Amino acid sequence: MEIILELQNITKHYGRIRALNKVSFSVPQGSVFGILGPNGSGKTTLLSIILDVLKADQGNFLWFGNPGSPAQRKKIGSLLETPNFYHYLSATNNLKITHSISARGDLQDIERVLRQVKLFERKDSRFSSYSLGMKQRLAIAAALLGNPGVLVLDEPTNGLDPVGIAEIRELIIDLRKSGHTIIMASHLLDEVEKICTHVAILKKGDLVTSGHVDEVLVDEDVVEMGASDLSALTSVMSTYDHQGKLSHEGNNLLLVLPKGTANPEDINHYCFGRGIVLSHLALKKKRLEVKFLELTGS
Amino acid sequence: MFQILRTEWLKIKKYPAFWWVTGITALTYPGINYMFHSVYENLTKQSSASGKVVSALLGNPFSFPEAWRTIAYFSSIFVFIPAIVVIMLITNEFTYKTYRQNIIDGWSRRDFMTGKLIDVTLISLLVTCLFAIVVLIIGFSNTTDPEASRWSLAYYVALFALQTFSQLSLAFLVGLFVKRSFIALAIFSFYFIIVEPILVNVIKYKFKSESGQFLPLEISQRLLPKPAFIGRIDEVAYRASLDAVKYHVAYTAGLVMLTWGICFWISKKRDL
Repeated sequence: MEIILELQNITKHYGRIRALNKVSFSVPQGSVFGILGPNGSGKTTLLSIILDVLKADQGNFLWFGNPGSPAQRKKIGSLLETPNFYHYLSATNNLKITHSISARGDLQDIERVLRQVKLFERKDSRFSSYSLGMKQRLAIAAALLGNPGVLVLDEPTNGLDPVGIAEIRELIIDLRKSGHTIIMASHLLDEVEKICTHVAILKKGDLVTSGHVDEVLVDEDVVEMGASDLSALTSVMSTYDHQGKLSHEGNNLLLVLPKGTANPEDINHYCFGRGIVLSHLALKKKRLEVKFLELTGS
Repeated sequence: MFQILRTEWLKIKKYPAFWWVTGITALTYPGINYMFHSVYENLTKQSSASGKVVSALLGNPFSFPEAWRTIAYFSSIFVFIPAIVVIMLITNEFTYKTYRQNIIDGWSRRDFMTGKLIDVTLISLLVTCLFAIVVLIIGFSNTTDPEASRWSLAYYVALFALQTFSQLSLAFLVGLFVKRSFIALAIFSFYFIIVEPILVNVIKYKFKSESGQFLPLEISQRLLPKPAFIGRIDEVAYRASLDAVKYHVAYTAGLVMLTWGICFWISKKRDL
């Protein structure tokens, strides 16, 4: 599979602060590649480096197998950190500047993308009169101009209402289906799970892990049990043949098992056979947030 | 190059501040020269003896060929007005982060600086055109001697253009370095109006040295010597100032190249 972006030992310092430390990973073509991490982990710094806003102290990156260049950036639709436009210009005129610099799209395409992000009715209003959500939509429109094959989006749903978030999610899914490659930094773990095919997790500038999202952010089965005698239940379950871990949460006993291996019916039968009548039995997925916090050590 | 020019025009053409300051500049240059001309007329058109004395002393600085020199000198005092636009054109790009967006969208750092170089050049040319128009109007309306040469000092258009470009380039450098419009404008104006004139005179009179001529604004300021009616106070110094113009053309050209070299270098190295 073709590699769209390859990072090799990217390192960046801000004075004494180490923002990135030898970060390396590859983004395959056609993927939706999520970059996750807590605040200050280096996500925006990383995207800034690959878009030539910042210079890496060490390491390099390759776009389409070649060193980064203005010609390549023209083919990439980008949204970095905040919407950056000329405040005294309208949406249309701002996108004309985007078109003039990047050579992506044309005047008809400007109308198309404004309709796509539902800003067409306000296309002639000054950027300074827009709400945060509208500014974000315009930034997304600029990234979509000319239908680029690669998109780099930094928190694309920032400032959007739930409807807007859902729309952007559907948009990204549609783009993925049509073969676009999307590199996306996000805090919203649910969105990442729904949209991304691959993920890289950063923590304090270090790459914690990267790979296919199903491998990195594996959900686990959590069987939640309750009985009148919790200690007796615990003793019985400690003899149950399983590949998981037992723990207590409140008045319940939790059995965390690898995804897809939980069998509540079997557990119920086992407990009943040893004189334990369960008052509560539920199968849950391990919360993605918990998994993320585990990986980042938070 | 055309694509860069077109993009810069898209940025500027609907920028209200640009048109306001351009309008003010368009009024200032003819206005200030008209004011000096009016003062001159009031002094010399008096029918009393004093009017005749003043007329004999001053000559007619607003007739050709001296009009080129006189109006260039007075107009050059107000370069800080177009400097407002120049500083705003770069500092706004930092304030609204559109500099970084231009790079993200596909410009190189060099492309961006080239666009700004074009802006400063065009503003300098615009101001020079204003100057030329003012000279032609005032000069032709005040020249009664048919033998007077209208064009012998017309090269002052080029000198004015070079001086304006040099000083606006320095204003741009201040804006690029400081990144905040109000502070950059304050620094530039303070230096232009207060600091450098004082430094030049301190170096000249206290340290008995002419090295003040190499200060950044003074280098180009000496492209446009004082007009004859002021220079007559010290004929020797006046002649020397006229002779020094050709050297200051070279110095100014060198300073312009250095200024823009620094601008391009800062742009290349700096994180956005």
